[in-house]
Order: sequence, then structure tokens, then C-alpha cells
Amino acid sequence: MTAPPTGAPAPGDDPEERDPGFARERTSLAWTRTALSFAALGGVMLKVNVLTGLIILAVAPVVWQAGRIARGRSPVAGLPVVGAARLFLIAISIVAVSLLCLAVAIFGSSVPGALR
Amino acid sequence: MGERPTEPCGRAGESFHLALPARRLPKAKGRTGNGSMSWSKRMAELLPGSITRDSGGTEPDPRFTFANERTFLAWSRTALALVVAGLGIVQLLPPFPRVPAGRHLLGIPLIVLGAVLAVAAYVEWGRSQRALRRGEPLPHSILPWILAATVTAIAVIAAAVVLVSALR
Repeated sequence: MTAPPTGAPAPGDDPEERDPGFARERTSLAWTRTALSFAALGGVMLKVNVLTGLIILAVAPVVWQAGRIARGRSPVAGLPVVGAARLFLIAISIVAVSLLCLAVAIFGSSVPGALR
Repeated sequence: MGERPTEPCGRAGESFHLALPARRLPKAKGRTGNGSMSWSKRMAELLPGSITRDSGGTEPDPRFTFANERTFLAWSRTALALVVAGLGIVQLLPPFPRVPAGRHLLGIPLIVLGAVLAVAAYVEWGRSQRALRRGEPLPHSILPWILAATVTAIAVIAAAVVLVSALR
């Protein structure tokens, strides 16, 4: 890697050329982990309150899909159009989810001895 | 200062815009520029809808942009983990003997911290991206401070709750 990424996409098959530092790949994986985190929270919530758990579980595929949007684009080809909207979606989702959890934590009846 | 409004941002078709307040041309020497902005206007510029307004600078190295995005995602997962922990403490743990409010005392701050971290991470991402575009040094992040301070406080409360429920 001598030349920094410039406008034209590299024709070569070197993955390092197409995706310098595997930045795109790693970012894609980070999106996957984030979606899984939502799913994990939804799974815990299922144990506490089924309806709320299903709502949170439904967020996971949305996040997954939001992460896939950038996947097809090569950084060398020009583009991180980093969607501020996608990241904003994540932030808002977490706030909404934590408000749900707060409501369940305060008003929901606890599961006695669920962890023993 | 004349270069900013006229310079096209990045290559054609790769319009990246920031959701944070655009740099304002310095009218005065002091820092009156930021302070005079109304609260609602500042909030409105945090919305992704304001990405049509350019924040100046040029498109940074894509690797930096991706790294900034990953950092935001990592903070988001941290926030989610805090929410899970708080929920688990309140709902799944058996109650502390002699400390009936102990679980809520520990869990609710964790859930609130998760929400705060998510918003702060978004703001931080915008600030960093703006600095990257302009080739400025990255701004000082207060996220680790928020996390460390709150977790420390919760740990102290946890120690107190455990002690009270174990002693006597």
C-alpha cells in the first residue's frame, strides 16, 4: 500500500486494495455486533416482559439492515456516505429501549428469583 | 475564510454532511458565537435532517470515517450492555435482605447511564467527524469520564448495599 486511496477503484483483486485496512469489513462486523446486542437485550427482556421483549427484538433486524447499507460500497471507490441518519437511528433506538427498560424496571413486577 | 462557502465538499456524489453545528465565521474575538445560539437551534442541528448543511472541510480518508463510525458503534454496545445489566439487576436478581430498594438503587442509574451514553456518543461522533473533515485535532471526549464516574458511583452504592444486607 504505497498510494493512499484515491478516486478510481483499484482493478486488482488484492483485498487490501479494495478495502484498505479492512475498514469496511470491520465496520460491517461492528454493525453486526451492535444488532446482536439489541437481540441480547431483547432476549433478556423476553424473560421479564414478553411484549416488550418482542418489541426490542424487532429492533435488531432493523439495525442489521442499516449496517448492510454501507456494505456494498468500497471505500476506494469513493465513499463513505456515512449516514448521520443511521447513527442517529441507533442513538434514538437505545434511548427508546432504555426508557422501555426503565418503565419495566420501575413498574413491572419482578421475576422472583429468576437468577438463583 | 472565503474558501469555505465556495469550496465543493468532497468529490461529486459523495456528499457527506454533518449533523452538528457548522463552523460559524468568527464575528468577534470572543466565544460569543456558540453561546448566542438558541437552545432549540442547537438541538435542531443535532438532527440528521440538518445534514444538508455542510460543515466545511473535505472528505477525510475513508479509513478514518469508518473508524469513527466503529467507535460510535462500540459506545452504543457499551450503552446497551449497561441497560441489560440494569434490567437484570432490577428484574432478575433476588431482593437484597434488609435493603428493599437496593436493586432499584443499582439498576436504574445503570439504565439511565445507557441512555445518556448513547446520546453522548452520537454527539461525539459528529464532533470527531467534523474535526476529521477539517484536519483539526480530534476533540476531547468526555465519554470515558462519564462512564468511569458513574460506574464508580454505582460500585460504591453496590458495596454499601451488599454490606448493609450482609451485616447485622
